Amino acid sequence: MKKILSSVTDGKGFDIGLVLLPLAFLFVLSGLPLVYNVVMSFQEVDMFSLGSFARPFVGFKNYVDLFSQPETGPILFNTALFVSASIVGQFVIGFGLALFFWTNFPGASWLRGLFLVSWVMPGLVVGAIWNWILSGDFGVLNFFLREMAIINANIFWRSDPNYSLWAVIIANIWLGTSFNMILLSVGLSGIPKDLYEAAELDGATMLQRFFTITLPMMRSTIGAIVALGLIFTLQQFDLFAGITSGGPNNSSNVTQYWAWDLSFRQYDFAKGATISVIMIVFVMLASVVYVRSTRHEVRG
Amino acid sequence: MTLQIELNSVNKFYGAYHALKNIDLAIEKGSFVALVGPSGCGKSTLLRSLAGLEKITTGEMKIAGDSMNDVPPRKRDVAMVFQSYALYPHMTVEENLTYSLRIRGVSRAEARKTAEEVAAITGLTDLMQRYPRELSGGQRQRVAMSRAIIRHPKAFLFDEPLSNLDAALRVHMRKEIRALHERLRATSVYVTHDQIEAMTMADHVVVMRDGVIEQQGRPLDLYDRPANRFVAGFIGSPAMNFLPAKVAEDGRHAVLDFGRLALGEGLAPGTAVTVGIRPEHIRMVPAGEGDFNVPIDSVESTGSTTYVTSATQPELTVVENGRGALRSGDVVGLAIDPAQLHLFDGDGKRIEQTHSNVGELRRLQSAETARPLRIGV
Repeated sequence: MKKILSSVTDGKGFDIGLVLLPLAFLFVLSGLPLVYNVVMSFQEVDMFSLGSFARPFVGFKNYVDLFSQPETGPILFNTALFVSASIVGQFVIGFGLALFFWTNFPGASWLRGLFLVSWVMPGLVVGAIWNWILSGDFGVLNFFLREMAIINANIFWRSDPNYSLWAVIIANIWLGTSFNMILLSVGLSGIPKDLYEAAELDGATMLQRFFTITLPMMRSTIGAIVALGLIFTLQQFDLFAGITSGGPNNSSNVTQYWAWDLSFRQYDFAKGATISVIMIVFVMLASVVYVRSTRHEVRG
Repeated sequence: MTLQIELNSVNKFYGAYHALKNIDLAIEKGSFVALVGPSGCGKSTLLRSLAGLEKITTGEMKIAGDSMNDVPPRKRDVAMVFQSYALYPHMTVEENLTYSLRIRGVSRAEARKTAEEVAAITGLTDLMQRYPRELSGGQRQRVAMSRAIIRHPKAFLFDEPLSNLDAALRVHMRKEIRALHERLRATSVYVTHDQIEAMTMADHVVVMRDGVIEQQGRPLDLYDRPANRFVAGFIGSPAMNFLPAKVAEDGRHAVLDFGRLALGEGLAPGTAVTVGIRPEHIRMVPAGEGDFNVPIDSVESTGSTTYVTSATQPELTVVENGRGALRSGDVVGLAIDPAQLHLFDGDGKRIEQTHSNVGELRRLQSAETARPLRIGV
């Protein structure tokens, strides 16, 4: 007994305890809901069976039903478009800004910090702001585009099915750019300055230095950011709720919003869970990429 | 000999800070020049200016006859070995070596062939597919050098390349770099804070302090005839002893706090001077037989050499071969050859002495050395 006790206070038992505690925490708060969600996607769930675990199993019926619905294909496509356009936009602008601030002009670090303001704002607030900007009749974006002679007539960003998804994408790029910029700035500052000096003496031009030194040295950072971007954009819910509510006619609907809509507005919990399971698969893949790219840090 | 590097009154300012002050330097093609000085003396700034990584404020800088003032680093055709080596961590040794060639559009096959030739010289042949993180300090050092050699640049610039190695490896690499220089005969500029590295490796040593070249010349000339007190104290290990003194009435002796020393001729009586004596130029003799007697404060022996410190103010260090049987508290006599004394004026500048009787003194001294004298026995 004493031996066990001393092992717990100072020894192997203590180490095991340290591991078990967070594992238990993760299992209760993340693992169980996850499993419950997966189980639900194979069951028939309605308002009356919601309170019990013992519900009739229906196999893959929910999945089959889901994919036979006419809106499923477009919504999956919307999701893919939303995720890829957001990530590309956030990454390209974020990298551009990071490189810009990397030149370290006076006040650069201060300004860089200021950029984080967009990221700390709640999604619903961002949505409200962009509602004003994107407004068809009096929005400042339309005004700007019109004055620049890019468009002739106002675009009704939120109610035109051709633009509604892009309205959310623009807001999401604005929201996520600064996070990309900060992480990429950290990655850039981790590259030793003398590598650039050596490359410069070796005859490399600025562009050659970017492609032979900066990009390869940033590989793990970029991998991590793209993976995190995928996870974050798949979690993006507030902006849809705040700007288009998935409409009009599902033209800006994406899986994460649809899952919520099915579960809590149409009370079709089984289908909501089914969509969530499909999303879990993608997020898991992104997580693997993230973990792998942060594990292999290339440093001399 | 043609000049490979020429600097004419080069100045460098960082804001108000004057980092390089009127630097004039001429480096012959194929020579090995060491820039040496304490940290913050401007030696690294000077080297980085040569590379073009720092822009000089005024003055003219020429490499191989062409003005380099407005030439960017990548067009200067100089190679640099960094203190940190600055190897590209995401490239193998071979890719590190061939980087400059590939940038210039040399084909992969040709670049590989050249890399193999260089690797054979520097002993990297078996390591070509390794990454820098898989190499030891000495191997990384070699990769950094090979990366410079492969380009056949107009000049090699070394920025304290050995300071990250342990003492034994440093001595080894010192020889290796020197041997490589003998073989390639490429113009090299070598920055170091270690005067022993400078003395042993370079054909020409430039001593710097506070952005000024204090003295330059062949290593042993610097040792034999330091131009000022700073160079005298910086070159040589252990450092030269400095004693405040006055020139005596006869103009041929220096009066110290604890004795008199014979000097050369032509000094004004009463002048305040600083006498410099290298520890290895003082001989210890039985008390009463030397120029003056001093009590001993500490005796440190490394086995082959004994360092004796006197209990005087200022203290004197004496180096003696072998292991004397001296102890702290003993009193010994010190014999000093006037020809090996250095005199500095109030500003620290060297005062030249004329020794009409140097020949006689030398003879006397060699006669004394022929009769070995074991102290304290």
